[in-house]
Amino acid sequence: MCKECGCGETNGNNRLQFIVDGYTDDNAKEVEKALLGLPGVLYVHIHPHEGETTVDYSPKLTKLSAIMKVFDDRGLTANL
Amino acid sequence: MAVTIDVKADILGKNDAVAEELRNLFKEKHVFVLDLMGSPGCGKTTLLEKTMQALKDDINMAVIEGDLFTSKDADRIDRYGVPVVQINTAGGCHLDAPMIKKAIENIDLDKLDLLVIENVGNLVCPAEFDIGEQKRAVVLSITEGDDKPMKYPLMFKLASIVLLNKTDILKFCNFNLDGATEDIKTLNPGVEVLPVSCSLGDGLKPWLDWLREMVRSVK
Repeated sequence: MCKECGCGETNGNNRLQFIVDGYTDDNAKEVEKALLGLPGVLYVHIHPHEGETTVDYSPKLTKLSAIMKVFDDRGLTANL
Repeated sequence: MAVTIDVKADILGKNDAVAEELRNLFKEKHVFVLDLMGSPGCGKTTLLEKTMQALKDDINMAVIEGDLFTSKDADRIDRYGVPVVQINTAGGCHLDAPMIKKAIENIDLDKLDLLVIENVGNLVCPAEFDIGEQKRAVVLSITEGDDKPMKYPLMFKLASIVLLNKTDILKFCNFNLDGATEDIKTLNPGVEVLPVSCSLGDGLKPWLDWLREMVRSVK
Protein backbone atom coordinates (compact mmCIF):
# COMPACT_ATOMS: atom_id res chain seq x y z
CA MET A 1 0.00 0.00 0.00
CA CYS A 2 1.20 3.50 -0.77
CA LYS A 3 1.91 5.49 2.41
CA GLU A 4 1.10 8.75 0.63
CA CYS A 5 -2.35 8.08 -0.75
CA GLY A 6 -3.42 4.70 0.59
CA CYS A 7 -3.99 3.36 -2.91
CA GLY A 8 -3.29 -0.26 -3.63
CA GLU A 9 -4.33 -1.40 -0.19
CA THR A 10 -5.85 -4.50 -1.72
CA ASN A 11 -6.05 -3.50 -5.40
CA GLY A 12 -9.45 -5.13 -5.13
CA ASN A 13 -7.49 -8.35 -5.33
CA ASN A 14 -7.83 -11.66 -3.56
CA ARG A 15 -4.95 -13.88 -2.58
CA LEU A 16 -5.56 -17.61 -2.78
CA GLN A 17 -3.34 -20.51 -1.90
CA PHE A 18 -3.69 -23.83 -3.69
CA ILE A 19 -2.03 -27.14 -3.08
CA VAL A 20 -1.24 -28.64 -6.45
CA ASP A 21 -0.34 -32.27 -7.15
CA GLY A 22 1.94 -33.22 -10.02
CA TYR A 23 4.35 -30.34 -10.43
CA THR A 24 7.67 -30.79 -12.15
CA ASP A 25 10.20 -27.95 -12.33
CA ASP A 26 9.26 -27.40 -15.96
CA ASN A 27 5.49 -27.41 -15.69
CA ALA A 28 5.65 -25.24 -12.54
CA LYS A 29 7.39 -22.53 -14.62
CA GLU A 30 4.79 -22.99 -17.35
CA VAL A 31 1.93 -22.63 -14.85
CA GLU A 32 3.52 -19.53 -13.31
CA LYS A 33 3.81 -17.90 -16.72
CA ALA A 34 0.29 -18.84 -17.78
CA LEU A 35 -1.23 -17.53 -14.54
CA LEU A 36 0.70 -14.24 -14.71
CA GLY A 37 -0.61 -13.73 -18.24
CA LEU A 38 -4.24 -13.74 -17.06
CA PRO A 39 -5.91 -10.33 -16.62
CA GLY A 40 -5.69 -9.05 -13.05
CA VAL A 41 -3.16 -11.63 -11.86
CA LEU A 42 -0.39 -9.63 -10.22
CA TYR A 43 1.60 -12.21 -8.31
CA VAL A 44 2.22 -15.94 -8.46
CA HIS A 45 4.55 -17.95 -6.27
CA ILE A 46 5.01 -21.70 -6.61
CA HIS A 47 6.89 -24.20 -4.45
CA PRO A 48 7.07 -27.13 -6.90
CA HIS A 49 8.00 -29.74 -4.28
CA GLU A 50 5.27 -28.91 -1.78
CA GLY A 51 2.81 -27.90 -4.50
CA GLU A 52 2.06 -24.69 -2.62
CA THR A 53 0.84 -22.11 -5.13
CA THR A 54 -0.08 -18.54 -4.19
CA VAL A 55 -2.05 -16.41 -6.63
CA ASP A 56 -2.94 -12.75 -6.18
CA TYR A 57 -5.74 -11.93 -8.62
CA SER A 58 -8.69 -9.66 -9.29
CA PRO A 59 -11.98 -11.58 -9.28
CA LYS A 60 -13.44 -8.74 -11.36
CA LEU A 61 -11.01 -9.47 -14.17
CA THR A 62 -10.41 -13.21 -13.93
CA LYS A 63 -12.77 -15.91 -12.73
CA LEU A 64 -11.56 -18.64 -10.45
CA SER A 65 -12.53 -21.11 -13.17
CA ALA A 66 -9.94 -19.52 -15.51
CA ILE A 67 -7.27 -20.10 -12.88
CA MET A 68 -8.39 -23.69 -12.35
CA LYS A 69 -8.28 -24.24 -16.12
CA VAL A 70 -4.55 -23.42 -16.14
CA PHE A 71 -4.00 -26.37 -13.77
CA ASP A 72 -6.52 -28.65 -15.50
CA ASP A 73 -5.02 -28.05 -18.96
CA ARG A 74 -1.73 -29.47 -17.67
CA GLY A 75 -3.25 -32.47 -15.92
CA LEU A 76 -2.65 -30.98 -12.47
CA THR A 77 -5.03 -31.22 -9.54
CA ALA A 78 -5.37 -28.06 -7.46
CA ASN A 79 -7.13 -27.81 -4.13
CA LEU A 80 -7.83 -24.70 -2.11
CA MET B 1 -21.15 3.30 18.53
CA ALA B 2 -18.43 3.82 15.95
CA VAL B 3 -19.31 3.62 12.27
CA THR B 4 -16.63 2.91 9.69
CA ILE B 5 -17.02 4.45 6.26
CA ASP B 6 -14.80 3.25 3.44
CA VAL B 7 -13.92 6.63 1.98
CA LYS B 8 -11.34 5.21 -0.42
CA ALA B 9 -13.97 3.30 -2.41
CA ASP B 10 -15.97 6.50 -2.85
CA ILE B 11 -12.93 8.48 -4.04
CA LEU B 12 -11.95 5.83 -6.55
CA GLY B 13 -15.55 5.53 -7.74
CA LYS B 14 -15.72 9.29 -8.28
CA ASN B 15 -12.37 9.25 -10.04
CA ASP B 16 -13.52 6.54 -12.44
CA ALA B 17 -16.71 8.45 -13.24
CA VAL B 18 -14.73 11.60 -14.11
CA ALA B 19 -12.23 9.52 -16.09
CA GLU B 20 -15.04 8.06 -18.19
CA GLU B 21 -16.46 11.52 -18.78
CA LEU B 22 -13.02 12.69 -19.95
CA ARG B 23 -12.55 9.67 -22.21
CA ASN B 24 -15.88 10.41 -23.92
CA LEU B 25 -14.88 14.06 -24.36
CA PHE B 26 -11.50 13.12 -25.88
CA LYS B 27 -13.24 10.67 -28.22
CA GLU B 28 -15.70 13.32 -29.32
CA LYS B 29 -12.82 15.74 -29.98
CA HIS B 30 -10.76 13.05 -31.79
CA VAL B 31 -7.79 13.56 -29.48
CA PHE B 32 -5.53 10.64 -28.64
CA VAL B 33 -4.60 10.81 -24.96
CA LEU B 34 -1.58 8.98 -23.57
CA ASP B 35 -0.71 8.50 -19.91
CA LEU B 36 3.11 8.41 -19.76
CA MET B 37 4.40 6.76 -16.62
CA GLY B 38 7.61 5.55 -15.02
CA SER B 39 9.99 6.12 -12.12
CA PRO B 40 11.65 9.45 -11.38
CA GLY B 41 14.64 9.78 -13.69
CA CYS B 42 13.67 7.00 -16.08
CA GLY B 43 13.63 9.39 -19.04
CA LYS B 44 9.96 10.31 -19.52
CA THR B 45 10.66 13.98 -20.21
CA THR B 46 13.63 13.21 -22.45
CA LEU B 47 11.37 10.84 -24.42
CA LEU B 48 8.82 13.64 -24.71
CA GLU B 49 11.48 16.06 -25.94
CA LYS B 50 12.56 13.64 -28.68
CA THR B 51 8.92 12.95 -29.52
CA MET B 52 8.13 16.65 -29.85
CA GLN B 53 11.19 17.20 -32.04
CA ALA B 54 10.01 14.46 -34.38
CA LEU B 55 6.26 15.04 -34.44
CA LYS B 56 5.40 18.62 -33.59
CA ASP B 57 5.37 19.77 -37.22
CA ASP B 58 2.98 17.00 -38.30
CA ILE B 59 0.83 16.50 -35.20
CA ASN B 60 -0.79 19.10 -32.98
CA MET B 61 0.38 18.17 -29.50
CA ALA B 62 -0.08 19.39 -25.97
CA VAL B 63 1.39 18.15 -22.73
CA ILE B 64 0.15 18.02 -19.16
CA GLU B 65 3.01 17.72 -16.71
CA GLY B 66 2.51 16.16 -13.29
CA ASP B 67 5.07 17.08 -10.67
CA LEU B 68 5.04 17.26 -6.90
CA PHE B 69 6.30 20.84 -6.54
CA THR B 70 8.34 22.19 -9.44
CA SER B 71 7.81 23.22 -13.06
CA LYS B 72 11.21 21.90 -14.18
CA ASP B 73 9.76 19.42 -16.69
CA ALA B 74 7.15 21.88 -17.98
CA ASP B 75 9.93 24.40 -18.58
CA ARG B 76 11.74 21.83 -20.72
CA ILE B 77 8.57 21.17 -22.75
CA ASP B 78 7.86 24.89 -23.16
CA ARG B 79 11.14 25.36 -25.06
CA TYR B 80 9.69 23.34 -27.94
CA GLY B 81 6.72 25.66 -28.38
CA VAL B 82 4.24 22.91 -27.47
CA PRO B 83 1.37 23.99 -25.18
CA VAL B 84 2.02 22.69 -21.68
CA VAL B 85 -0.03 22.78 -18.48
CA GLN B 86 1.66 22.13 -15.15
CA ILE B 87 -0.13 20.26 -12.37
CA ASN B 88 1.60 20.46 -9.00
CA THR B 89 0.28 17.79 -6.70
CA ALA B 90 1.86 19.37 -3.59
CA GLY B 91 3.39 16.08 -2.53
CA GLY B 92 0.70 13.84 -4.00
CA CYS B 93 2.17 10.75 -5.63
CA HIS B 94 -0.10 10.46 -8.69
CA LEU B 95 -2.45 12.38 -10.97
CA ASP B 96 -6.16 11.70 -10.86
CA ALA B 97 -9.05 12.37 -13.23
CA PRO B 98 -10.40 15.53 -11.51
CA MET B 99 -6.91 17.10 -11.82
CA ILE B 100 -6.93 16.39 -15.57
CA LYS B 101 -10.46 17.78 -15.90
CA LYS B 102 -9.26 21.04 -14.38
CA ALA B 103 -6.05 21.13 -16.44
CA ILE B 104 -7.83 20.77 -19.80
CA GLU B 105 -9.75 23.99 -19.12
CA ASN B 106 -6.47 25.58 -20.28
CA ILE B 107 -6.15 23.52 -23.48
CA ASP B 108 -8.05 23.97 -26.75
CA LEU B 109 -8.97 20.37 -27.54
CA ASP B 110 -10.44 21.36 -30.90
CA LYS B 111 -6.92 22.14 -32.12
CA LEU B 112 -5.31 18.95 -30.82
CA ASP B 113 -4.41 15.55 -32.22
CA LEU B 114 -2.36 14.28 -29.29
CA LEU B 115 -2.35 15.00 -25.57
CA VAL B 116 0.44 13.44 -23.54
CA ILE B 117 0.01 13.40 -19.78
CA GLU B 118 3.35 12.88 -18.03
CA ASN B 119 2.37 11.39 -14.70
CA VAL B 120 4.23 11.84 -11.42
CA GLY B 121 7.38 9.71 -11.34
CA ASN B 122 6.29 6.59 -9.46
CA LEU B 123 5.85 2.91 -10.37
CA VAL B 124 3.03 2.29 -7.87
CA CYS B 125 0.18 4.79 -7.51
CA PRO B 126 -0.24 6.20 -11.04
CA ALA B 127 -1.13 2.70 -12.22
CA GLU B 128 -4.12 2.66 -9.84
CA PHE B 129 -5.79 5.77 -11.25
CA ASP B 130 -7.70 6.00 -14.51
CA ILE B 131 -7.24 9.56 -15.79
CA GLY B 132 -9.34 9.24 -18.94
CA GLU B 133 -6.47 8.14 -21.17
CA GLN B 134 -6.87 5.84 -24.17
CA LYS B 135 -3.50 4.14 -23.71
CA ARG B 136 -0.69 3.92 -21.20
CA ALA B 137 3.02 3.98 -21.95
CA VAL B 138 5.64 3.02 -19.38
CA VAL B 139 9.32 3.95 -19.46
CA LEU B 140 11.67 1.69 -17.49
CA SER B 141 15.33 2.63 -17.51
CA ILE B 142 17.88 -0.12 -17.33
CA THR B 143 19.57 1.54 -14.37
CA GLU B 144 16.48 0.69 -12.28
CA GLY B 145 17.11 -3.05 -12.58
CA ASP B 146 15.49 -5.87 -14.51
CA ASP B 147 13.50 -7.05 -11.49
CA LYS B 148 11.10 -4.09 -11.59
CA PRO B 149 8.36 -5.51 -13.86
CA MET B 150 7.64 -8.39 -11.48
CA LYS B 151 7.99 -6.10 -8.42
CA TYR B 152 5.54 -3.51 -9.80
CA PRO B 153 3.28 -5.72 -11.92
CA LEU B 154 0.19 -3.50 -12.22
CA MET B 155 2.16 -0.75 -13.96
CA PHE B 156 3.34 -3.17 -16.65
CA LYS B 157 0.13 -5.19 -16.80
CA LEU B 158 -1.93 -2.19 -17.90
CA ALA B 159 0.56 -0.66 -20.36
CA SER B 160 0.10 -0.78 -24.12
CA ILE B 161 3.75 -0.07 -24.79
CA VAL B 162 6.91 -0.26 -22.64
CA LEU B 163 10.15 1.49 -23.49
CA LEU B 164 13.33 0.09 -21.97
CA ASN B 165 15.43 3.23 -21.88
CA LYS B 166 19.13 4.05 -21.53
CA THR B 167 20.31 1.08 -23.60
CA ASP B 168 23.38 3.17 -24.50
CA ILE B 169 24.78 2.32 -21.06
CA LEU B 170 23.60 -1.29 -21.03
CA LYS B 171 27.15 -2.65 -20.97
CA PHE B 172 27.80 -0.83 -17.69
CA CYS B 173 24.67 -2.18 -15.99
CA ASN B 174 23.75 -5.57 -14.70
CA PHE B 175 20.47 -5.59 -16.61
CA ASN B 176 19.12 -8.62 -18.47
CA LEU B 177 17.29 -7.08 -21.42
CA ASP B 178 15.85 -10.39 -22.66
CA GLY B 179 14.80 -11.42 -19.16
CA ALA B 180 13.05 -8.11 -18.46
CA THR B 181 11.29 -8.28 -21.83
CA GLU B 182 10.13 -11.82 -21.10
CA ASP B 183 8.83 -10.79 -17.66
CA ILE B 184 6.89 -7.87 -19.14
CA LYS B 185 5.38 -10.07 -21.85
CA THR B 186 4.55 -12.73 -19.28
CA LEU B 187 2.55 -10.17 -17.30
CA ASN B 188 1.03 -8.60 -20.39
CA PRO B 189 1.23 -10.86 -23.45
CA GLY B 190 -0.02 -8.24 -25.92
CA VAL B 191 2.32 -5.41 -24.94
CA GLU B 192 4.97 -3.89 -27.20
CA VAL B 193 8.44 -3.66 -25.65
CA LEU B 194 10.98 -1.35 -27.26
CA PRO B 195 14.65 -0.98 -26.24
CA VAL B 196 15.59 2.67 -26.75
CA SER B 197 18.08 5.33 -25.84
CA CYS B 198 16.10 8.53 -25.51
CA SER B 199 19.16 10.70 -24.95
CA LEU B 200 20.76 9.45 -28.22
CA GLY B 201 17.46 9.07 -30.03
CA ASP B 202 18.21 5.40 -30.80
CA GLY B 203 15.36 2.96 -31.41
CA LEU B 204 12.63 5.59 -31.34
CA LYS B 205 11.17 4.99 -34.82
CA PRO B 206 8.79 2.19 -33.72
CA TRP B 207 7.61 4.44 -30.86
CA LEU B 208 6.94 7.35 -33.21
CA ASP B 209 5.19 5.05 -35.69
CA TRP B 210 3.03 3.66 -32.88
CA LEU B 211 2.07 7.17 -31.76
CA ARG B 212 1.21 8.22 -35.33
CA GLU B 213 -0.95 5.10 -35.69
CA MET B 214 -2.74 5.82 -32.40
CA VAL B 215 -3.44 9.41 -33.48
CA ARG B 216 -4.81 8.14 -36.82
CA SER B 217 -6.99 5.59 -35.03
CA VAL B 218 -9.05 8.26 -33.21
CA LYS B 219 -9.67 10.45 -36.29
